[in-house]
Amino acid sequence: MRLRAYAAYTAITLKLTLRDRVVLFFNFLMPLLFFVAFGEGMGAKTSPGAMSQVLSLVLMFGVLGTGFFGGGIRATMDREAGILRRFKVAPITPAPLLAASMITGWAVFIPSVALFISLARWRYGWDQPLNLGSLLIVVSIGVLAFRSMGLIIASVANSMQESQIIAQLLYMPMLLLSGAAVPLQILPDWLQKLAQFLPATHLYLGTQGILVRGETAWDNRDSIGAMLLAMAVALWVSIKLFRWEKDEKVKPAAKLWIAGVMVPFLLMGAWQLYDKRNETRIRMLERQSRRSQSWLIRDVRIFTGDGAVIERGGVLIRNSRIEKVYEGATPDPDAVRAEALEAGGRTLLPALIDSGIQLPVGKGNPSGDAVERALAAYVYSGVGGLSVVRDPGGLADAVRARVDSGEWLGPEILPGAAPPPVSLTAAQAAAGDLAVIHDDLAQQFFAGPYLQGLAALRGHHQPFPGALEKAAAALRLLFERGELPPPCSAAAGWLQLHGPGLVHELALWVEAGIPPREALRAATSAAAQRAGAASRLGRVREGLDATLLVVDGNPLEDIRALGRIHSVFVRGERIARGELASKNKKSQK
Amino acid sequence: MSDSPAAIRVQGLRKLYGSFEAVRGISFEVAPGEIFGLLGPNGAGKTTTVEILEGLRQRSAGEVSVLGFDPEKETGEVKDRIGVALQATNLPEKIKVQEAAELFAAFYTRSVAVDDLLRKLQIWDKRNALYGTLSGGQKQRLALALALINDPELVFLDEPTTGLDPQVRLEIHTLVSRLKEQSRTVLLTTHYIEEAERLCDRVAIIDEGRIAAMGSPRELQERVLGHARVEVSTAQPMPQELPESWQGQVAISMNDGRTRLSASAAKPARVVVELVRWLESAGIEIEDLHIKRPTLEDVFLELTGKSLRE
Repeated sequence: MRLRAYAAYTAITLKLTLRDRVVLFFNFLMPLLFFVAFGEGMGAKTSPGAMSQVLSLVLMFGVLGTGFFGGGIRATMDREAGILRRFKVAPITPAPLLAASMITGWAVFIPSVALFISLARWRYGWDQPLNLGSLLIVVSIGVLAFRSMGLIIASVANSMQESQIIAQLLYMPMLLLSGAAVPLQILPDWLQKLAQFLPATHLYLGTQGILVRGETAWDNRDSIGAMLLAMAVALWVSIKLFRWEKDEKVKPAAKLWIAGVMVPFLLMGAWQLYDKRNETRIRMLERQSRRSQSWLIRDVRIFTGDGAVIERGGVLIRNSRIEKVYEGATPDPDAVRAEALEAGGRTLLPALIDSGIQLPVGKGNPSGDAVERALAAYVYSGVGGLSVVRDPGGLADAVRARVDSGEWLGPEILPGAAPPPVSLTAAQAAAGDLAVIHDDLAQQFFAGPYLQGLAALRGHHQPFPGALEKAAAALRLLFERGELPPPCSAAAGWLQLHGPGLVHELALWVEAGIPPREALRAATSAAAQRAGAASRLGRVREGLDATLLVVDGNPLEDIRALGRIHSVFVRGERIARGELASKNKKSQK
Repeated sequence: MSDSPAAIRVQGLRKLYGSFEAVRGISFEVAPGEIFGLLGPNGAGKTTTVEILEGLRQRSAGEVSVLGFDPEKETGEVKDRIGVALQATNLPEKIKVQEAAELFAAFYTRSVAVDDLLRKLQIWDKRNALYGTLSGGQKQRLALALALINDPELVFLDEPTTGLDPQVRLEIHTLVSRLKEQSRTVLLTTHYIEEAERLCDRVAIIDEGRIAAMGSPRELQERVLGHARVEVSTAQPMPQELPESWQGQVAISMNDGRTRLSASAAKPARVVVELVRWLESAGIEIEDLHIKRPTLEDVFLELTGKSLRE
């Protein structure tokens, strides 16, 4: 009998909801408008990352709307209209009414998830691997949790106006601070911290994690747990405070029950502030999103890394890999759904590999700014791979994990190997010539006072005259014997400059008589081979990581062209070099 | 009252809202098959009393039994067995008549066939209409249908015709009368005197939380105001000499011109006969003659000093 009441009430609520045009408008039409508007506006066609962002945003709109307005205000309306009063005299409890609201909210929302995912797939060519089961679990629990929070609004509000005010007060901040509407990183620090306490943030990070990083529901178990707990509290409070008639008023103090629902999230937020996992996660999501942008580099000279040159061709980057290398004409960017990069007169080559560096140890803390700054300097200078030759701090593995996850921006950290026998840059410095700090890249990336300080410290050392010439002779000898080593900036040494050294080194190699083509091969495919990373780095070939460098001019004719960097791609992410440099300079002042 | 146990038994019922005593010791019984009316102005305590009986409110003191159950402790049992048509309730705008009936049918252990019920209440034609499109009368007929969906022995009707136009009110009255034919017990609250007079076997007049009087409408009229009045008006002044048989039996009042007379008597028909004879023998022409019975309205006014309709 009880079950019959639940079923009948749920069925009728569902019918009534579907008859209500307002509900259909808010559930389907409005999110659809947002979906199309943002989809077109945010370049979702060329970037699965942007599409994922749009999907998450639209899902958040839907979940929050269904919860606060569909659940909360609806229930208040039924009470105000005297509808609940009629049910009051029938032998039913609030439970079937609340259950029906929850189930209806869920049942009406889930088709919209299917609609948007289908649209993303067919209209925008969104081809990310989708963990549909996990997405449905997280979104379903989200809808139910927010629906129950909506019901609590109805429980504590004494009038329509009140419930509308409470709903708005919860809806807007949660939408804005969840990260769905505005990227969290652009918010002030304290707002970012505040966001950690909002249920919506957990839901957003959950959906984004699943859409962008291929996470599972299990990976998001903390958030799911918090939402389930909040749902349980909210339902319990809703039953306790349930009112059938508008004449029964709830005491102002009872409104504090809303706070009870927030308790799981307060705990979660406090934990997040303590362990900073979400902050990290937000950075990873952002990085993943950037890595998924599709690019089509057109009309470019390609140095493939193994010595061959395509005089005019193109490269299609998708999902952080090189999807296609074109010889001759490149297709229309719209045809391949990619953002075009016109590169006439430029040269594309694999990003360089620096085969011998040492990470700045700092205080032995891998999260140290020094490491991050060094990694940024390499990326800025077109370096896409680093062999860490001495690792006294044992940092390499931790740094590699952070770079791979996307938490940090940086070149791939390659397995350590013996340091190359020669570094002309190191030899030049030993001879007392700090020419590297006058290179364009160094000047662009580092603040003047920092470089001067470095030079001053260097000046205190006893120079070894003729060191460069001796090293150059050794290099020529190795070249003649066919044993050209991989180049390295030797930023392992004390007071060395991380980043621009490798380009400087290659210039010294060419001055020493090594042909540019050989120097470049040594810095790309040969270095990758030596580090066992040939399946990912060192060549422009389909299936490899899109870790690439585009420079003005032709470094095969003028090696100094390597310093005139136009674009750097690391695993498909086009590096915002200007931003990196200005951020670095600011921190060095 | 019949020998079978009472459908409703209320003994010394009290209800306090804070320091305000809304119900101050009410006792009454309703026999099975009876239509019992609670008559009183707004705020008299009618609704509170009824809601306690329906299991919606807790009482402060007293004994209450509804169909043998205590509505406070056995709320589910009571709710499952009674039918209720409440004042000022609504159904969702977009629900269809038949859907509403089927929904409520699902709430009860026992339910009647929805089709028959809608036909009996003459809303079968409207079964696919949305609630929001129904007229006031149709809504009220649906409310009655929902009150009868569980085939209840006892039906509570709270102001069933308030706000309806006279024609529709008559239709509802007919439907309520039919409930009696089906030997259901009905507890009706109203502030329409005519309704109580027309429908109720017995009426309790409630004022300020107390029962001021209780009985059949006729009994109440007679008990409170006693007698009917015979009123006559004539073209010429009436004689000074009154009929001898009226001495000490009939209370007389007359206007100054002796052209209007009002006689209050236990046997008004007899007074009429004597009055006509008396005036004819005096050769006086009668312009108007009628018997006036006191209404419940008069009773109410007499008992409470208030008008019901204010």
